[in-house]
Amino acid sequence: MTEVSIERLTKTFGSARAVDGISIRIADGEFISLLGPSGCGKTTTLKMIAGFEEASEGAIRFDGKDVVNVPAEKRDIGMVFQNYALFPHMTVDQNLAFGLEMRKIAKPEMLSRIAKVLDMVQLGGYSDRYPNQLSGGQQQRVALARALVIEPKILLLDEPLANLDAKLREEMRVFIRDLQRRVGITTVYVTHDQAEAMTMSDRVVVMFGGRIAQIGAPSDIYERPENLEVAQFVGQVNLVKGTVTGVAEAGRCRVASVFGEIAVDSRANHAPGNSVTLSLRPEAIELKPAGQGGAQGKVTARYYSGSIIDYRIALDSGETLHVQTFPNIRIAEGDRVSVHAPADGFWLLGAAK
Amino acid sequence: MKRPVLTLYCLLVYAFLLAPILVVVGASFNAGNFLTFPPQGLSLRWYVTFFHNDVFMRAIRTSLWVAAVATVISGVIGTMAALYYVQHAGRWKETVRVAMLAPLLLPEVLTAIALLFFVYAIGIGTTTMIGMVAGHVLITLPFVFINVSASLESFDPSWDMAARSLGADRLTRFRRIMLPLIKPGVIGGALFAFIISFDTFTISFMLKGIGTSTLPIQLFDYLRTNFTPEAAAVSTVSIVLTLVVVIVSEKVLGLRIHRF
Repeated sequence: MTEVSIERLTKTFGSARAVDGISIRIADGEFISLLGPSGCGKTTTLKMIAGFEEASEGAIRFDGKDVVNVPAEKRDIGMVFQNYALFPHMTVDQNLAFGLEMRKIAKPEMLSRIAKVLDMVQLGGYSDRYPNQLSGGQQQRVALARALVIEPKILLLDEPLANLDAKLREEMRVFIRDLQRRVGITTVYVTHDQAEAMTMSDRVVVMFGGRIAQIGAPSDIYERPENLEVAQFVGQVNLVKGTVTGVAEAGRCRVASVFGEIAVDSRANHAPGNSVTLSLRPEAIELKPAGQGGAQGKVTARYYSGSIIDYRIALDSGETLHVQTFPNIRIAEGDRVSVHAPADGFWLLGAAK
Repeated sequence: MKRPVLTLYCLLVYAFLLAPILVVVGASFNAGNFLTFPPQGLSLRWYVTFFHNDVFMRAIRTSLWVAAVATVISGVIGTMAALYYVQHAGRWKETVRVAMLAPLLLPEVLTAIALLFFVYAIGIGTTTMIGMVAGHVLITLPFVFINVSASLESFDPSWDMAARSLGADRLTRFRRIMLPLIKPGVIGGALFAFIISFDTFTISFMLKGIGTSTLPIQLFDYLRTNFTPEAAAVSTVSIVLTLVVVIVSEKVLGLRIHRF
């Protein structure tokens, strides 16, 4: 299996730096997501790993060997495209056989490998179908099978679920993740969907403007975002203004805000007296009937969506909050409420770079 | 028949398009001595005359030969030009397109005269078939180009990338992925080229050498002095030949986009 090391990788188009000196080490068998808005350089990075784009600077190493000058057809990668890119004039079998024929695999082994992989993606019995006779989800699985049957060094996926409907997308997330674990293949997954990146990855690489904003486990990214931009990209977030009143130890401060004085964690260094921004996830907040302590406010809007209810709260101090609760608490629009936020729901943001 | 007016309209259009052909075919079975419709009695005598007419037989062979050669050359050049146009022309795309379509836009007679000057200027002359074949290639090229570039525009570049990631080199990708997928365009373009070449008059008329008349020219020559149903028989045979080419290519090579 394969370890991938990307070192100061850069891609320039004219004077624009689409990818600006990024470095990532991907462990053998690891599932990494490149997450970011469109134009952040994630797809360009993937294409450079695949060999479809030439790197302007930097190195891409597979098990220590620089592959920057190896053409795509010799890199031994499996790639899954957003539109699946199945060959329309070939049956499922022929699509899967193509990569094996290129590797001059003998017929009996070819057949057994195809059968095994089709079984793995639960498409046994679909061998003779043409791609246009399959549903979107099935085509997606054929594309996955075609990439895996050649037993590549690494698996690259470029927004593979973007064209599926919401329900199927959630099924496929789990399906791909389970399959990847079973095969144990090093995987790079490009997406702009934070929920997708979170559920599937071992680590998430958040990218903005061609640079890496943060690399970390999904919980790291979500609970301890590097800066405001990351916090806002990976989920809904409330921003609460505060002032540092004391620094206990490196990365831990006391901050006074509308929720009182609390001890919070931070990645950045702050000095007493600094004006800071605290992030507070909507689901960390608890609502109680008015007059039960905490910050006081009024419900301005309520959106019911089955498993959760979204509230917009206008605090008496002037700030607006976005709150998510389970539907067992019934509060109506216009009600006055007490807003409680536990200290560990806060995170002290560093300034955006 | 839910829409009688539309149906009637369509029938009239078809009648307008097909009636002349039916008249010619009908007239060719004439037993009389003159080209008239309806025929005066039914007979195959004019077909017999035609098939025994060496001049016509030679002309039909010339026509088929020129059309076949021109189609192959046009097919190859036109496909390559379309590939360049769609994939590499970049900011020259529009220029390339106009240049490729120019033979369609110019009056054929001008193209023919220009070519005639040209073949004499460079010393080829009209003693060989080179000039005429070149002319046929020139006027059939746009049809191949249009058809192939249309099918290339719907060729998804990610198919090529997928094939690359699976380990296919450039030639294999062209042979196994691109060519099969643009085949309908290539064959459609080649068919157009064949029919246009088989049918063209002006270019052949200007560039033909002695004894190298094509069928349309021989027919024109014939009609200047004769007005027998043999002319209708010649036309019918020419129509049938064209149909045979279309049907055979469709069956053998598969003009339709099958399955996808």
